[in-house]
Amino acid sequence: MCTMLGAMTVSLSACEGIFDGVYDTAPAEELKDFGFIEVDDANYSGTIYVDATDYTKWIYVDLHEQVVDSTRIVDESGAEIPLGESGVLPQSWDFAIHRYDAKTNDGAVLESGSTGFDVLISAGRIPEGTYVTDEWTTDRITIDMSGMMQGNIKYAASNYNSVLSSWLDVDTSTMPPIYSLSNKVYIVRLKDGTHAALKLVDYRNSNMDKGFMKIEYIYPFENVIE
Amino acid sequence: MGKRLRGFCLILGCFLSVFAAMAQQMVSGIVTDAATGEPLIGASIVVKSEKNIGTVTNEDGKYKLRLPESKAYTLVVTYIGYVSQQYDLEAGKGKEINFKLEEDAIGMETVVVTGTRTPKLLKDVPIVTRVITSDDIRKVDATNIQDLLQIELPGIEFSYSMDQQTSLNMQGFGGNAVLFLVDGERLAGETLDNIDYSRLNLDNVERIEIVKGAASSLYGSNAVGGVVNIITRESTEPWTANVNARYGAHDDQRYGGSVSFKAGKFNNTINVQHTTTDPIELFDSSEGNKGDYNQVYGNHTWNFKERLVYNPNDRLKLTARAGYFFKERDKSASDVDRYRDYNAGLKGNYIFNDKNNLELAYAFDQYDKSGFDKVKSLDIRDYSNVQNSIRALYNYTFSGKNTVTVGGDYMTDYLMSYQFTEGGSHKQYTADGFVQFDLNLSDRFNVTTGLRYDYFSEADVQNVSSKLGIMYKWNNCSLRASYAGGFRAPTLKEMYMNFDMANIFMIYGNENLKPEESQNFSLSAEYIKSRYNVTITGYYNLVDNRITTAWDQELKGMVYTNISEMKVVGVDVNAAAKYPCGIGVRLSYAYTHEHIAKGEPILSSTRPHTATARLEYDKSWKKYGFNISLNGRIMSKVTTDEYTDLTSYEETERVTYPGYTMWKLNFSQRIWEGININMTVDNLFNYKPSYYYSNSPSTTGTTFSAGVSIDIDKLF
Repeated sequence: MCTMLGAMTVSLSACEGIFDGVYDTAPAEELKDFGFIEVDDANYSGTIYVDATDYTKWIYVDLHEQVVDSTRIVDESGAEIPLGESGVLPQSWDFAIHRYDAKTNDGAVLESGSTGFDVLISAGRIPEGTYVTDEWTTDRITIDMSGMMQGNIKYAASNYNSVLSSWLDVDTSTMPPIYSLSNKVYIVRLKDGTHAALKLVDYRNSNMDKGFMKIEYIYPFENVIE
Repeated sequence: MGKRLRGFCLILGCFLSVFAAMAQQMVSGIVTDAATGEPLIGASIVVKSEKNIGTVTNEDGKYKLRLPESKAYTLVVTYIGYVSQQYDLEAGKGKEINFKLEEDAIGMETVVVTGTRTPKLLKDVPIVTRVITSDDIRKVDATNIQDLLQIELPGIEFSYSMDQQTSLNMQGFGGNAVLFLVDGERLAGETLDNIDYSRLNLDNVERIEIVKGAASSLYGSNAVGGVVNIITRESTEPWTANVNARYGAHDDQRYGGSVSFKAGKFNNTINVQHTTTDPIELFDSSEGNKGDYNQVYGNHTWNFKERLVYNPNDRLKLTARAGYFFKERDKSASDVDRYRDYNAGLKGNYIFNDKNNLELAYAFDQYDKSGFDKVKSLDIRDYSNVQNSIRALYNYTFSGKNTVTVGGDYMTDYLMSYQFTEGGSHKQYTADGFVQFDLNLSDRFNVTTGLRYDYFSEADVQNVSSKLGIMYKWNNCSLRASYAGGFRAPTLKEMYMNFDMANIFMIYGNENLKPEESQNFSLSAEYIKSRYNVTITGYYNLVDNRITTAWDQELKGMVYTNISEMKVVGVDVNAAAKYPCGIGVRLSYAYTHEHIAKGEPILSSTRPHTATARLEYDKSWKKYGFNISLNGRIMSKVTTDEYTDLTSYEETERVTYPGYTMWKLNFSQRIWEGININMTVDNLFNYKPSYYYSNSPSTTGTTFSAGVSIDIDKLF
């Protein structure tokens, strides 16, 4: 029929619609590249992009070695099994991501008042304030939402850093939730006393699917303020 | 009346008189306005059974009519804006018959098309039709159909569903069971079972016709609970130009403009409207949870409409139209929803003679949704519904008073959606044919009956809908009784959905759905006397196989399913009066009782008692006029049992949603001919919900708005 109608209307013939060009298409490479996707060693900076869509996955980031590894959360006890090629659980790591949640490896986090790195760099020192360490939680790390309708969401016991996790606010008072990036730079004091500056710049991939976390970083932060 | 029209009427009068040259009896007289006694110039007087015998009144309101035979005749006197009159003339010699016509204060002489798909006077239409005129739209200063219907009709409630999307409940029927049409054309696209009402703006709208009850024998799928048909205005002036603006609370802004011109056989109208509104903070969430939502998202819209009419001769009319709609809704700093619609159409109407006419039409409608990511500046489309349809409609009038209507449509329906597996798409075609007999068995007795066959390729659904309407007129009363069938075919969404709902559960489509079916029985009585109209309608609806989602224990998700029979019973009462002193009153009340069996996945939430009221006063002089109107909306509370667990339909708890009233005071002034100034106080009595439920009005209390509309052509 469309051909017939097409003859009638010339440009309005498309049975599957018109003006596709109005819209953007997601760049294919951005949909599959994960890890340290940009590294600028000269400026000690880069971008980390991880797929955190899986509720039963921790993604571990090692800023020292610039590698990313992941584990599977087995059950509510928080027990994990390795997913990486090494076959062992990550040993040296700095912070980890589960969905929009974050934890550190015996670190502590400060939310800076700044939305950009430049202001912090030009201040010439490590921001001061109350650095907040991780807390042990049993009601934060959601591993199974499917019971929500019956009122039983499953959580895994885990460390949780409330300050770093505030990089994205998920307001669940309405359905669907409203997501708001804090757009702040977070200073993480690592176990070895060095500091990293992190900023969550996006939580969606180019297809607008949520759970894809893109983090810009500077590490070691000490090296850029000297 | 312009000189040209007057001249035309006189020529027409001479022309019609030629037929009466061999008259054997002669009638004459004067036609006047019953209220003022002023003569009515150009009123037409025709013989009822032989419409080619007639005349029109001259400049003194006088007429002379020669009748060919010395027998009994019925004369019909009509004049625009007045209630027509009949006179039974006995056989005999010349007579003087004077007519005093009363102003049609309540619009019963309005021509409507929705009930039968043929033009009929409102008082003659065999199915009760409610009309909202352009005058009503101006008086309540409504921007879109949603604002308007709520203030004009009882039993209509727009509330919020998930994601602050609008959801309609019209006396127990949801958005997908009420068919919305623009000039008889369907609309593509839906969100949570409702079309995008915000795309239906009210600029250049002539009138809106609302027919309650099933109407699938004429309109097919979705006409289960009613039809709302928006009729576009066609200018007859050489040129018109209008600009208008309105500003109100929450930085609510509306700007519109229309230009029309007539050049020879062409008539073109362009309309543009732009609206913006800020988010509305309903309450401060730090002071505790006072609602299901605390903010109404801000948005802005653009709406363009273009219509070109070509009349090569008196018999043929060709119409081409195109439209574009854009809405952007701000959900958060980075997250924006966009909605776009492209529509176009071609229509040809050909009148063979006074017995036969044919309409051929092609319509295109594409409704898209996309998410705009401000971080990446990417606009990614995730939904597109494209409908192409062709239609033929033929009317044949026989014995001067009976009409047969035959028609058919063919439509392709394409749907791409994020709710399908991997954002895929599905297609189907639909085809239908229908016939309707509109028989005037006597002056008083009308029988309308019709049958329609619909086919939906993807669901492989065939459906036959029928109707039978009887109307009997007696003095100033009309009694109407009708049976009408309605149905709704399963949509592509309902058949193929495969959607992960925020990792909480899946929603699955069902390819084996049966169509929803409804049977509507209605009885109504109407009393009309020039300035009064009272209508009482009682109805009974049986709705079977209604489609909804239900929890499936095995799949651990929601699945589209048909539910068992439900009933909707109700009474509508409508009373209107308009007095020559300028005072007008309209009161409408609706009672609705919805019965759904226990254990079904949906529960009744329809308010049983609702009413609307309008009290107005208008006064007009040559260079100034005003109208002050008070419009009220009264909603009763509703108590319902809701399931405590969304995955089992056993345990319930009783919930009551409070009733409320909302009043709107509108003061509009006309300065000279073309300048209209509108001032509105909304929520006059400062109602604030103590808790904002999804069916509470999203008001923060009394608000004020002011607007101006200038008809530039009338200033000259």
